Amino acid sequence: MTKTLKSLLAVMACAAFVPSALAAESATIKMIEERGTMLCSGHNGSYFGFVEVNDKNEWRGLDIDLCRAMTTAILGDPNKVQIVPLSWAQRFPALQSGDVDIIIKATGWTMGRDTELGLQFSLPYFFGGTQLMAHSDLGITQATQLEGGTICVEAGTTIERIVADYLKTLGVEHTMISYEKAAELRAAYLANRCDAFAGWGPNLAVLRATEIDNPDQHIILEDQLSSEPISAAMRQGDEDFVDFTNWMLAALLLAEEHGVTMANVEEMAANPPNPTVARLLGSTPGIGERLGLRETWAREMIAAVGNFAEIYDRNLGKDSPYKLERGLNNLWSHGGVLYAPILD
Amino acid sequence: MTDIAAAPPSTVGTASHWLKKHAFSSLPASIATVLFFALLLYIAYLVFDWAVIGAVWSAENADQCPTAHGACWSVIDARYRLILFGLYPYDLHWRSTLACVAIILTVILSCIPLFWSLKRLALLWVVGFGAYYLLMEGGPIGLQEVTTDQWGGLSLTLFLFSSVVLIGMPMGLGLALARRSKLPVISYGVSILIDFIRSLPLLTTLFTAAVVVPILLPDWLHGDKIWRVIIAFALFFACYQAEVFRGGFQAIPRGQFEAGQALGLHFWQILGRIVLPQVFRHSLPGTINMVVVTFKETAIVIIIGFFEILASANAAFGTGEWAPYYIEVYVFVGLIYWIFIFSLSQYGEYLKRRMSVAKR
Repeated sequence: MTKTLKSLLAVMACAAFVPSALAAESATIKMIEERGTMLCSGHNGSYFGFVEVNDKNEWRGLDIDLCRAMTTAILGDPNKVQIVPLSWAQRFPALQSGDVDIIIKATGWTMGRDTELGLQFSLPYFFGGTQLMAHSDLGITQATQLEGGTICVEAGTTIERIVADYLKTLGVEHTMISYEKAAELRAAYLANRCDAFAGWGPNLAVLRATEIDNPDQHIILEDQLSSEPISAAMRQGDEDFVDFTNWMLAALLLAEEHGVTMANVEEMAANPPNPTVARLLGSTPGIGERLGLRETWAREMIAAVGNFAEIYDRNLGKDSPYKLERGLNNLWSHGGVLYAPILD
Repeated sequence: MTDIAAAPPSTVGTASHWLKKHAFSSLPASIATVLFFALLLYIAYLVFDWAVIGAVWSAENADQCPTAHGACWSVIDARYRLILFGLYPYDLHWRSTLACVAIILTVILSCIPLFWSLKRLALLWVVGFGAYYLLMEGGPIGLQEVTTDQWGGLSLTLFLFSSVVLIGMPMGLGLALARRSKLPVISYGVSILIDFIRSLPLLTTLFTAAVVVPILLPDWLHGDKIWRVIIAFALFFACYQAEVFRGGFQAIPRGQFEAGQALGLHFWQILGRIVLPQVFRHSLPGTINMVVVTFKETAIVIIIGFFEILASANAAFGTGEWAPYYIEVYVFVGLIYWIFIFSLSQYGEYLKRRMSVAKR
């Protein structure tokens, strides 16, 4: 190859990389790098499996682990995350005012939030919907069998409306009782004051597994009344940050798909079994440069928190007290709906 | 003194006399008494059985909880540090403990008459409060810095409560005085302010301070979220407290001012030596009431994401292992509240007795 041709190729290569180099200038990531910490949403209390506090007064949970993954990707250290406790009502104003960089807090992707509130959402990382739980001695498995029954719900939530709509469509006559507090609702259901109890699927499963003495006495009905995609929410106007968040989630899913785990990540990086893993772990350059980060960000992230399956199992799944099945939240290749975009 | 003739007959007598008169005066009364006490005993037994006999006490025995018929105090054993200190770093809890002790000592000391002069109280509070802040924050005295968003639990509740009362009380007195000002600009201005703030719910005020202010104001005016909230809360407290003081002022006859002026005392002397001591006495019950209510109202900051004692209690039972034992956690937190509020109101009673000396 001649010298001229080489330099020509170099120029072409540069030209090809210019747009992507520009695209990687995320203002939010820059701010996080300058500050040296990432500000992430916590909760004013505990939200089973997603945001909770362990015996050492440290945050843990699925959403917390995603924050830690993200912090590792940007700053190289999961402990540089700062979790800001936020209430539900406060989360969006807190994001807009810059109190947090991102909201990862069991937050559903809705049109109102996407447009009127000026937010942008990542790809969904979790799907949870409204479901019904009933006493199993009623011998029912479907909502149509609830004819004439009493259903308890939490007052003022979207769940109330979803249940009413769903049962009306089915033509099931029922009585609805709403309770102000989740604990009251639980007590009412356990005291047999209602036949069924409507709630967010993962919460029902958690309740069934932990709060009730004998889990077999309760059945979660087959009906999926609604399905809410749970995404990370970010401020409008920083598309590159959304790109980064999506690829952060994609990297966790790709790692699961290709069997890259916390334990074997270094080995996989040294001897990548296929080109995708090589690109993912930065053995073949590209994944870092195109996002304006280190080539090894995904490798470091997986070494710190593990792949998506490890995060899920630790917080909600088989290694947690909740033993929540993956179900919809499995990879597409295992009967779920989670998938990663193509890493080329 | 009441008229001797109208006084009740001698109450001197033994317990059996009293019982006979009040509890067993007739057959139906005797039956009612016996039934009532039997019920009371039964309830006491149920509570005792739940809380003591059937209870599991230590975290190591937590596996016995699901089968035990009583309370599972293991949750408190395992999680009391979360309830008391919130998200404060685990290894630095000694600092949070010392800070709590400092603030409680300051409150206790300032209740002792020996410290009741402006100079001594001011000194005490600067020292006590400073000690609390430096221990918790740590940065200025070379300890590891802990930012305010990691403060939590009982120590945060105490901090919020004492700073709100500390800032709000003088502010309330100032507002009450300004409302009595002879300059219409000041008195009307303050009246409007007081009525405006009093017609807003506390939650709205705090939400505005915590969430809306940072959106409206430029960055350099934000300050720390916790101070914005404390100032808003103190303003709210001050507006109510100003009305309590106003009641005290109205109880004092105009003639006392005039008598003071006739003696050649100037305004601040009349105020400090004659009027204010009486105002404090008249407004004492209302003030104690305000203080107690404020202690309980600090729980409202949970809505703006502060990890005060109820939020950390919620986090304490908010994991799979401890989820069934929320009643134990609430009982524990209830006891903590009760200890503080009962002490406050008993202290109020003591003050009332002490101040009534002046009347004799």
